[in-house]
Amino acid sequence: MNGVEQTLIGGVSGGTAILLPALGELIGERAGVINLGTEGAMLAGALGAYAMTESSGVIWYGIIAGMLAGAVVGLAHSWITVRRGGDQIASGLLLWFLALGVTSVFGTEFVGTAITPLSNIAIPGLHSIPWVGVILFDQNILVYAGYVLVAVIWFVFYRTRVGLILRATGERPEVVAATGGKPQLVQIVAVTIGACLGGLGGAQLSIGYVGNWFNDMTSGYGFVAVAVVLFAAWRPVRVLGGAYLFGIVLAAASVLQAHGVSVNQYLLDALPYLVTLLALAVFARRGRSETPEALTRSLSRSG
Amino acid sequence: MTATPVNESSVRGTDVDLNTPEQPDLPGGLARLGPGSRYALISTLGYVASLAIFGVLVAVKGAEPISVYHTIIASTLLNGDALQQTALRAIPIGLAALAVAVPARAGLINVGGEGQLIMGAVAATGIGVAAVPGALSWAAMCVSGALAGALWAALSGVLRTWLGASEAVTTLLLNFIANDVMLYLIYQAWKDPNGSGQPQSRPLAHVAQLPKMFGSQLNIGVLIALVVVAVTWFLLQRTGWGFQLRVVGGNTEAARRAGLRVNSLLLSSMVVGGALAGLGGALNLAGVETQLRPDITLTFGYVAFLASFLGRHQPVKVVGAALLFSAVALSGNGLQITDGLDGTIVDILLALIVAVPLVVAKYRRRAA
Repeated sequence: MNGVEQTLIGGVSGGTAILLPALGELIGERAGVINLGTEGAMLAGALGAYAMTESSGVIWYGIIAGMLAGAVVGLAHSWITVRRGGDQIASGLLLWFLALGVTSVFGTEFVGTAITPLSNIAIPGLHSIPWVGVILFDQNILVYAGYVLVAVIWFVFYRTRVGLILRATGERPEVVAATGGKPQLVQIVAVTIGACLGGLGGAQLSIGYVGNWFNDMTSGYGFVAVAVVLFAAWRPVRVLGGAYLFGIVLAAASVLQAHGVSVNQYLLDALPYLVTLLALAVFARRGRSETPEALTRSLSRSG
Repeated sequence: MTATPVNESSVRGTDVDLNTPEQPDLPGGLARLGPGSRYALISTLGYVASLAIFGVLVAVKGAEPISVYHTIIASTLLNGDALQQTALRAIPIGLAALAVAVPARAGLINVGGEGQLIMGAVAATGIGVAAVPGALSWAAMCVSGALAGALWAALSGVLRTWLGASEAVTTLLLNFIANDVMLYLIYQAWKDPNGSGQPQSRPLAHVAQLPKMFGSQLNIGVLIALVVVAVTWFLLQRTGWGFQLRVVGGNTEAARRAGLRVNSLLLSSMVVGGALAGLGGALNLAGVETQLRPDITLTFGYVAFLASFLGRHQPVKVVGAALLFSAVALSGNGLQITDGLDGTIVDILLALIVAVPLVVAKYRRRAA
């Protein structure tokens, strides 16, 4: 296995921890709600999944617990912003803080323990495709969930009535209301499902990738996920590309180091954020006209 | 205090208020109150509920809620030493909170207080350690800290005004980059050779540190911060620049048609905000920390963001909120020692406090 393959395998696997929350964030933002609490949903999901797996021994329970933990954060965010009219950015940050505190207080007992992470499942047939097979089709179940979700979300967005109502809510909630729809309900459901995926992304980190838990283990991934949605101009397939780009940059860094290339550790640590920032700078203007209109009101109030 | 249009729009979110009748369903007694007193009553109930939830949480963790609240107050307010520590910690939090409040006037969301504090501390360390220490070293450190913070915030300002990248997200990403820059410096380039392996910069010479006042722990940073708060208040409330920021924040299109140079105003608000946070980082370094080390900011930048919201981006209220949060953040130590709790539990209390104004936002709008 050469360095390029290693990088791409790690990129897809690590990128999934960004892809899942980014897809969740995409659903919420398409309905007009930005959720910086995605970082909090990831933390909650990471601990929820880990704690459940560690205590029950059943990794499936862990996956479900991770999603539920994320959903709780999403429900809180949508209640504060949609029902109570609270500021979206502030609500997201305070939920992150809340999750940071709660997971660190209740996660202490799990620090230093370990579980066997999700095992890889080679997909019969597909995994023997040269090169592509090992990269894409010999991964864990959450990575496959990422592929399926991109397709499902694309289909729902652009080919179903539900998707139309969701996107309309993100553009003009008052029009949806005028035609008898319930924009607030749409937003609450979208944000909650979105945060579920955020929790799943956290689970990919704790039980999918490393098999342990430590404080603040998401270290800004949730914020990167929000940035990915922005520079992907709210398109599911581009979100996939952006998330894997992030994963590949991360994986390339560790592969380079493993091969004895001396690159400054701190530059490597900062690289994913630099790349995200750069992508945001390059694609921001292009994506601007595609911003869901209801979202612009909370994302930026001037300009 | 002038009402600020920014706050009105900032709490509105995308809530379209279509399904909610103008009068919310309230228990009979509440409905008879005027909107103002109803808002006051509901906020108060909200804060009580927050404290109660936190009490339940600490009880779950095996601590005695009453004792916990006693510790929070005793370890931050009840003795002179603790009070001075609270005041000193309030400097970086308060200035970083103003760094949120100033751009918020123009409708910008600066979540980058953390990175701007860090860059301020980094620049101050650079000047403080490299330059020959002299009587005015600390002044040079303050200036360089403010410049570095301004520059760091200007990055997001430029990305926003030139390229249209959301400042809420770029400021957030720059926090992580700033942290990596600082870690690189203290683990490698600036590592103290005499630090017995600890990741930290060389300590500041005594003469380069902020002078202490009246034989107390307080240093002149407190005075500098108070002056800066007053100047910021004046700039925002009493100058044409402050007024123009509010116009831009209220209605950008109208501001543009009225001939205001919107982009320059947006950028200037970020630069001023960044300078405030950078100064906060420098004052914290030169007065309290005296050397660069990991966790120097301890998420103060984010605490500051929440403080600015609690104070609704109005300078005086923001500083009050910063003092409160400084006390809460500091009480983590006491809770760890006295009540055997994890110190990060105070993050939960901070979040619960800030949740209240967000949850009761509708009542405040009706009261306004």
